[in-house]
Amino acid sequence: MSEHPRELIRDLLSGQISPADLQAVQRAPKDPGRRETVISLERERVAFDEPILVCLQEALYVVELQGGERVTKCRCGHDFGDWRRNWKEAAAIVEREGESAYFPGPRAADPEWMVLREFYCPGCATRLDVEVVPPGYPFIHNFEPLLPGTAAGEGG
Amino acid sequence: MMEPQAMPTAEIPTETPILKRRLAERDERFARTGAYVDELGLWDEDPIRFELLYTKLSQVVANAHEVARLVSASPMTRELGELIFGLYTPEGDAVCLSHGLIVHVHTISRMIKWMIANDYEQTMGFAPGDLYFNNDPHIGGAHALDQMIVTPIYAGEELIGWSAGLTHVPEVGATAPGGFDSFFTTRFHEGLYLPCVKIGSGDELRPDMEILVERSTRTPVYWLTDNRAKVTGALMIRDAVLELTEEFGVDYFKRAGEEFIEDSLRAAKRKIASVLHPGTYREVAWRGSPIPGSERMLHAPVEITVREDGSVHLSFDGLSSNFWQPFQGSLSCLEGLVMNGLIQHVLYDSKHNEGTLLAATMEVPLGSCCNPDSILYPTTLWGPAYGAGLAVGQALSRAYYAQGYREEVHATSALSSGYTAGGIDQYGRSFGAHNMEFGAAGMPATAVHDGLDTSGVEFNPEGDMGDAEIWEQMLPSIYLAREMRIDGGGAGRFRGGNGIQSVYMLANTSEIEVGSFGSVPIYPSPGLMGGYPAATLYMWTGKDTNLRALIDAGEPVPAGEGDDPAEPEFRRLVDGEWKVHHGSNKATEPMAPDDMFTAVSGDGGGFGDSLDRAPEAVAGDVREGRTSRRAAREEYCVALDDSGELDQPATEQLRAARRRERLAEAVPADEYRRAARERLVDGRVSAPVRRMYNDLLENNEKFAARMHEFWDVDEQFRVPGGDGEASR
Repeated sequence: MSEHPRELIRDLLSGQISPADLQAVQRAPKDPGRRETVISLERERVAFDEPILVCLQEALYVVELQGGERVTKCRCGHDFGDWRRNWKEAAAIVEREGESAYFPGPRAADPEWMVLREFYCPGCATRLDVEVVPPGYPFIHNFEPLLPGTAAGEGG
Repeated sequence: MMEPQAMPTAEIPTETPILKRRLAERDERFARTGAYVDELGLWDEDPIRFELLYTKLSQVVANAHEVARLVSASPMTRELGELIFGLYTPEGDAVCLSHGLIVHVHTISRMIKWMIANDYEQTMGFAPGDLYFNNDPHIGGAHALDQMIVTPIYAGEELIGWSAGLTHVPEVGATAPGGFDSFFTTRFHEGLYLPCVKIGSGDELRPDMEILVERSTRTPVYWLTDNRAKVTGALMIRDAVLELTEEFGVDYFKRAGEEFIEDSLRAAKRKIASVLHPGTYREVAWRGSPIPGSERMLHAPVEITVREDGSVHLSFDGLSSNFWQPFQGSLSCLEGLVMNGLIQHVLYDSKHNEGTLLAATMEVPLGSCCNPDSILYPTTLWGPAYGAGLAVGQALSRAYYAQGYREEVHATSALSSGYTAGGIDQYGRSFGAHNMEFGAAGMPATAVHDGLDTSGVEFNPEGDMGDAEIWEQMLPSIYLAREMRIDGGGAGRFRGGNGIQSVYMLANTSEIEVGSFGSVPIYPSPGLMGGYPAATLYMWTGKDTNLRALIDAGEPVPAGEGDDPAEPEFRRLVDGEWKVHHGSNKATEPMAPDDMFTAVSGDGGGFGDSLDRAPEAVAGDVREGRTSRRAAREEYCVALDDSGELDQPATEQLRAARRRERLAEAVPADEYRRAARERLVDGRVSAPVRRMYNDLLENNEKFAARMHEFWDVDEQFRVPGGDGEASR
């Protein structure tokens, strides 16, 4: 299983990859070094210097601070606090009910049943997650990674 | 030649019939060793010969699929490809399967095992040429419409396997025509059930069983020709297998079937360990029951634990309780959907069989809406199981993302919708059927490209929308439009695929009712990592219209919805009594010729923040009618001039302004939680939502603990309101 060229993976992350190259990547056996390649490429794109341990999701990373503390950071550098805590508990939130610009007329959910709960980075205003939930639903903790070198369960 | 491995028999009574004994031994062996068989001896001996047999079997089941498709007279089968064929071990484990409705590989397996467990070997006495039928989802299947036929394969005196086929039949004699209705409250509304019934012997179908179907359903031709299709395919597989046993030897064939399963299991563990990031993943799907007086939101969560050794555990703890409403899945249905998800998202490059499902362990609470504790509960609209199955795919996407394999990441697939109808058709016959052009829903956005428009559905990746003319032959409705549903998919850095939306007029019928099947007014397909969900699903009906007068006068007739869903073109152009139906799956009030209605197929969720979408991509979508100008400006903050050209500086200004607006509008999480808690504790939520919470607070320890902790409420907390209403 050979590694793909670094430039190709860079294009994959940026969405610039050509359909033919994308198909080739999808068809090829998975390259075992991908995680490390992606982390090194992501380091070029973010506004902080600390090492990335996990790409948690679009724009969010688990990083290790100088003192060894591990936190969740946005690509802009905003710190969401301890990596084991659900980052949503430190986000900026908009709850949207009923019709909106993207969901006019009957395309919107009935707020009696469901609302849009939008989570933003307080630093750069990136929309990080949109939960579709009934009012009163606890925040969903989508991902608790098992970090390399940590015991199972340490993620919370 | 390999000798079959020694099997432990200590705890199984010696008088147990052969298949039942083998099934018990298989279960015991797997529980003890975690392996289907202990070694791949045939592969070690000659891998080429081993793979050659598998390849030949793959061709056999694919042939059966394609030939059977042409035998059927049902558009579901012929046009959409709502069918699948497979080969099973004597104990009922899938060995090799065709393309098509792969969700049902496992439901057929459940049927075979149910017959074995219920002593059919003794009471019915299996024989060559027997044809067994099942459409009972509590045994195996999703609903009465999913119908399977299996036949045993004998080499001489010995049963060496089963061949089987399944199709989705559009009419089953339910209390509502077409068999889909969100107001079914018991099994006895759902139509004709034949639970593991012998409908033929000596390769021939029994005439009395045909009469039963003819006199119990509205349009028996679909059921009966689908039976012929399934028998054709199953017998093709059987005959081809017997030829292959002459080429490879019976013992080799039997052992190879077991090793194919073990091979898949090992491949699954290897792949999971290498491509999915270890950790715990959680997603939640929602559906709703609209039964008047007991409307309830339905909670379908999944928690997936991926371990470093490649093992996976899926917990569905937290599912809403079962009750008298049809949005329920059987356990076999949920298992089939998990297998469907694992095959499509992770294990697409290995042999697809029982080994795929054995790679994962599952926990599904008994008494929940995906594992009912009574067969009396209806299961027609298995939405919670489908939602939970789709949520599995989304959770696995997060695991791929963290491991760097962005090309495998996707938001949630479409919840399919469509319409159902019954009455008197254009040939003067009583009919009931549903249109399933929703085989061409919008696909979800991925992390590297937009979702495909009008392309497929996750439960049947081979699906197709079918020719409009074929649907017009089947149903007394004429297409005025079949269009891409602009902005249907969720917005995002990559947008969800748009589904199709059709506008119909009724014609040549003296009596008809039409309904939709979809969901209550919720966003059915969430986005991922900042992407928006797909739009809600609904149906418009227009009664007492002036459409005929417009046609006679040569006036314009609607060619679709137009670009304003709040004021659709068909409503602007045609006078009539227009009404939008959200989530009413019930056949609506009677309609008449020249009345109109619409249907949507469903759309995919979006991925990432819409402000990260390349402005050029938005401009292109507007030019091609995939994104509206309104959405381009309001959601994507992309400025286009009158000719549709991109204005880059103005776009940058719009986006910067939107970021400022977002932060001005948003509140810190703590502040949000205080207000949301107050609302919940005061009971300022609707009855459907209150019923959902109180059912789970009462009946689900894990969910209750989460609510207590998150909202800081005591253990006796119930959402106030609805005094005296039952929690189940």
